[in-house]
Amino acid sequence: MEREIKKILIANRGVPAVRIMHTCRDLMIPTTAVYSTPDRLAQHVLMADTAVHIGEAPPAESYLNMDKLIDAALCTGSDAVHPGWGFLAENHLFAQKVIDAGLIWIGPSPKVIEMMGDKIRAKHIAQKAHIPTIPGIDNVKSADDITKWMEKADVSFPLMLKASAGGGGKGMVKVEKADQLAQAFAQTQSEAKKSFGDSTVLVEKYIERGRHIEVQIVSDIYGNVVHLFERECTLQRRNQKIIEEAPSPTLDSGLRQDICFTAVRLMREIGYSTAGTVEFIFDINTRKFYFLEVNTRLQVEHGITELITGLDIVSIMIDVARGRRLPFEQEHIFPNRWALEVRLNAEDPKNFSPSFGAITRLKIPDGPGVRIANGVYEGSDIPPYYDSLFMLLMTAGPDRGDAIKTMDRALSKNLRVEGVKTLTPLLLSIIRHPLFIAGDFSTRFIEEHMAELISMFKEKNSEDEALKIARYVAEISALGPQKWM
Amino acid sequence: MKNTIIIKPNTPAKEIVAKVRSSEGVFITSTGMRDAGQSDFKNRHRIHDLLLLAPFYNNMGLFSSECHGGARWHVGVMNRKEDPFEEIEMLRELMPNVLLQTLIRETNLFGYRPYPKNVIEYVVSKVDIDVWRCFSFLNDVRNMRTVAEAVMKRGRLFEPAISFTQADWTTNSYYLGLVNEMVSLSGGTDEIILCIKDMAGVGSPARIHSLVDAIKQKYPDLLLQYHRHSTDGLAMPALLAAAKAGAKILDAQEDTFTRFYGQPPILGLIAYLEESGISVNIDRDYVDASVQKVREWISQYEWAESPFKGYDYNVTKHRMPGGAFPSSFEQAEQGGFLHLMPAILTVMSLYNRIVKYFDVTPGSQITWVTCSGIVNRYDKERGNAGVRYIISLLTKFVEEKNQCMDKMEKNEQEDLLMVFRNAPGDFKNLIMGGYGKLPMGWPDDWVYESTFGDEWKDKIKERKNSSPLESVAQDDLAKLRAEFADAIGRLPTDDEFILYLMHPKDAVEFILFREKYGEAPLHLPTNVWRQGLQNPGDRVEFDLWGKPYCIELVSKGAEHEGLIHVVMKVNNKTRVYTVETPRAKKIEIRMAKSASDIGAPINGSVWRIGNPERGALKAGDIVHKGEEIANLEAMKMENAIAAPFDGHIVEVCVRLNDTVQEGQLLFVIEKV
Repeated sequence: MEREIKKILIANRGVPAVRIMHTCRDLMIPTTAVYSTPDRLAQHVLMADTAVHIGEAPPAESYLNMDKLIDAALCTGSDAVHPGWGFLAENHLFAQKVIDAGLIWIGPSPKVIEMMGDKIRAKHIAQKAHIPTIPGIDNVKSADDITKWMEKADVSFPLMLKASAGGGGKGMVKVEKADQLAQAFAQTQSEAKKSFGDSTVLVEKYIERGRHIEVQIVSDIYGNVVHLFERECTLQRRNQKIIEEAPSPTLDSGLRQDICFTAVRLMREIGYSTAGTVEFIFDINTRKFYFLEVNTRLQVEHGITELITGLDIVSIMIDVARGRRLPFEQEHIFPNRWALEVRLNAEDPKNFSPSFGAITRLKIPDGPGVRIANGVYEGSDIPPYYDSLFMLLMTAGPDRGDAIKTMDRALSKNLRVEGVKTLTPLLLSIIRHPLFIAGDFSTRFIEEHMAELISMFKEKNSEDEALKIARYVAEISALGPQKWM
Repeated sequence: MKNTIIIKPNTPAKEIVAKVRSSEGVFITSTGMRDAGQSDFKNRHRIHDLLLLAPFYNNMGLFSSECHGGARWHVGVMNRKEDPFEEIEMLRELMPNVLLQTLIRETNLFGYRPYPKNVIEYVVSKVDIDVWRCFSFLNDVRNMRTVAEAVMKRGRLFEPAISFTQADWTTNSYYLGLVNEMVSLSGGTDEIILCIKDMAGVGSPARIHSLVDAIKQKYPDLLLQYHRHSTDGLAMPALLAAAKAGAKILDAQEDTFTRFYGQPPILGLIAYLEESGISVNIDRDYVDASVQKVREWISQYEWAESPFKGYDYNVTKHRMPGGAFPSSFEQAEQGGFLHLMPAILTVMSLYNRIVKYFDVTPGSQITWVTCSGIVNRYDKERGNAGVRYIISLLTKFVEEKNQCMDKMEKNEQEDLLMVFRNAPGDFKNLIMGGYGKLPMGWPDDWVYESTFGDEWKDKIKERKNSSPLESVAQDDLAKLRAEFADAIGRLPTDDEFILYLMHPKDAVEFILFREKYGEAPLHLPTNVWRQGLQNPGDRVEFDLWGKPYCIELVSKGAEHEGLIHVVMKVNNKTRVYTVETPRAKKIEIRMAKSASDIGAPINGSVWRIGNPERGALKAGDIVHKGEEIANLEAMKMENAIAAPFDGHIVEVCVRLNDTVQEGQLLFVIEKV
């Protein structure tokens, strides 16, 4: 069953593309990058062995354009496709097309993607496997359906409306009150259509102050399923994670065993192979967890699991795609570090308004305990068409306190990004907040503490201040003495 | 090394007074850090340069360093981009042994309007100054009460000042009346110093001797300080006369600062006093070092010097104070009427016999604006002949006819009754009693007729006799603070808020400047501050927060379409700066401002105008509260814009697929 992979096309851009290329280099497998017009000189393009232009800026014309991606693989002699995360990573049609073109798909089978991609079906499967799930209703046709279900099942607000085909926080709308329902429903439908090409919507009870915990799974085509322990991804803004850590500070070892083996059970049940994640929401009050969804792909935050286990998940994915067996069993996995990840998005830290443009200056953190996954370089552009994530910053240490201290150093003393605004000040405020340090937070932590977090932004450094002075010198050198003097 | 007495900050006021009283000879207040700069250099001396003197001051044995207040505060915020609070902090660090002295304008504090009691108390309680020299341009001692109370309550030294001029109505008994009021305001003579503030430099030696002597006879224990400008050329003998009559503290400045309108040169003064048998509590070596230090950098400020050169004995008539000389001439130069200055000074000398008060802030500004306005009007309407006419008319009225209206010709009377018609609002406020009571009472009735026209009789009835301390309503500090926070986009510190209370518009500009350019005003040497770096390879080195920095010019590009590219190395890293010249094209983006303007909540692209149910919206359409009127997309997230109220669309300000920035105007909707 073992197959050879000679060259991998990465059907993605930015951070995920660069991350995958790193492992391909380790494995001495050449890579093909794809790029849209504005990405012509992007970091992933410069890093690859070959690069193919696949269309204009809008994702539908480039990174979501299946035929062009497959043509690019074929014409560059690539025999495998890794989709990264986002874009077509969880699109079963694309996976099927890749396979039909005679290429190797580095990911789970199209069947499993389809099954788990339909949130409604995924929940049914979980229920059948006796895995706890959140009360909810599928395939909603109108706001009225929701109201009726709420009465019948005795469910109260808040609710979460989701695109059935969704993930990554897109196409999700929280509803607090009855009078918001109609507009929220319409918005979810529209976003679902736009992001995933499918307007089906599902509704669930929203667990207040829930904690988001997920289990990393790796499995091969021979039925071996191993978990790589959990990650805590509770800190989110607008339903998108921005800080993740492994292990979870919420779980004790009993619950940890419980949740990890529940995940293994589900993945075994559905015949999953390669890397994937089972997401749960944990109710801190009842200390119960509920199944949320399966992410049938590599996840953004996989790096912290790699840090605590010492494994390379991308490498495992490639090996599984080559038909190899997992080289370890469950009892061989011993996490012995605490790891933290922050997502550097090009956004205004005060209001998350996107900030695109050229990165005029970039200094990447270094020093002990730091790992960077970076999608840009000094001088490169962050175009407005895609995700605002441009760098992942991870730190690890013997325990949580050490990982936080190293992160503080990396963010406050080591990192410099000029030209675009980044979340850095907010991330720093969060990791310095006493509740974060105490491990006491929920998915609503950021919205609940935003004003306080912003008030902690102040910190100035002499380098920024010197640049202000330099700006003055430049202007006066060019313009001469000013009237106001 | 001489054994000089050093009076340190935090010494109780009573002890300071006792120490000076019991010491032999006289003490010196150095005005090098404030009035020297104000009188001859438009207050442009930067703290960066003044700090170089601080280590000498610290050991010199000065009574105090006048380094604060007057117009230095305002010019700091407006022109030097320095914060008076940060100046104090830096000086305290470098000269911890020296009393810091300010100059404060009674109810006007460091600004130009009468402030209510609550503001005065707040400001005085926050400004870390040891010696508070306080004057009133009306010599209305009532106006000093709140400052006096607040200063003495803090245990700091209060120094009430008599505004001095030499005129037929300013007799010794007039001044003794003021001294009585000041002594009683301060609860005796043990905790204050009293200043004779000769701000124009007009006191003749004999006159000053007589006045000091009269005060000392009445109050032998009262410590007297004589502050004098040099304008008339007689400063040295006048200071000696004051010292001989019993004044204990004299004001002087570095000889190298000395031009024409400031205080007399310190080394010369010391020599002159000592030769006359009066000892001076000062260490001459440190004085000399400071004088030499000034020489190293004072040539950087030639551009700030007054274009009106030389002493001016006519100051005894026009009485323009030393501190107002450079700024007045600057205004005349900018306004293009420098050639009218002699005429304006002549009109001032006649004006101050019609409306009697003291030419010092804000009075000097009122005099200046009123008189320059009159001369300019005659110049514009009738040219040179008009200027000559108004001078001869006023001369005749004041000098020949003793201000008796009936003795003037009919047409001359008509002209006089128009002379103040365009006077500034501050002049009107002054003669209505808005600043306090005038020292010689109200001006003659014809001045009101000339100022107010037909309403003059009503105006006379409305005149106020009270102090502004009683009539000015308290400011709502919380509300003002909120307004200020709004203007700068964050909460201000207490210090910043005080800057705002003094000069609202300039304080906002100052803070925005400092947010953009940081500490540039504090660290750049003066040539770089004014000119930047001139030639490739030119560099500036400075320490910032304990670390070394270097900025080096690599090249300056030619201007192209309003832009100049400047390449510099900042700590060895090359950076390119794009600088906009005044010719740069501005792409104007309309921002949402009023309640009817609907702005974009985020940066993004407009992918829908209207909503799926009713389709696109256009001007004239009716929308309902909560209805989606547009949708923005950014990084794959949708953001619905809902109508905030029922209304009709006046204008749709964007087109489909436009990229908009946060706050950009999308719609104008009129409420129905």
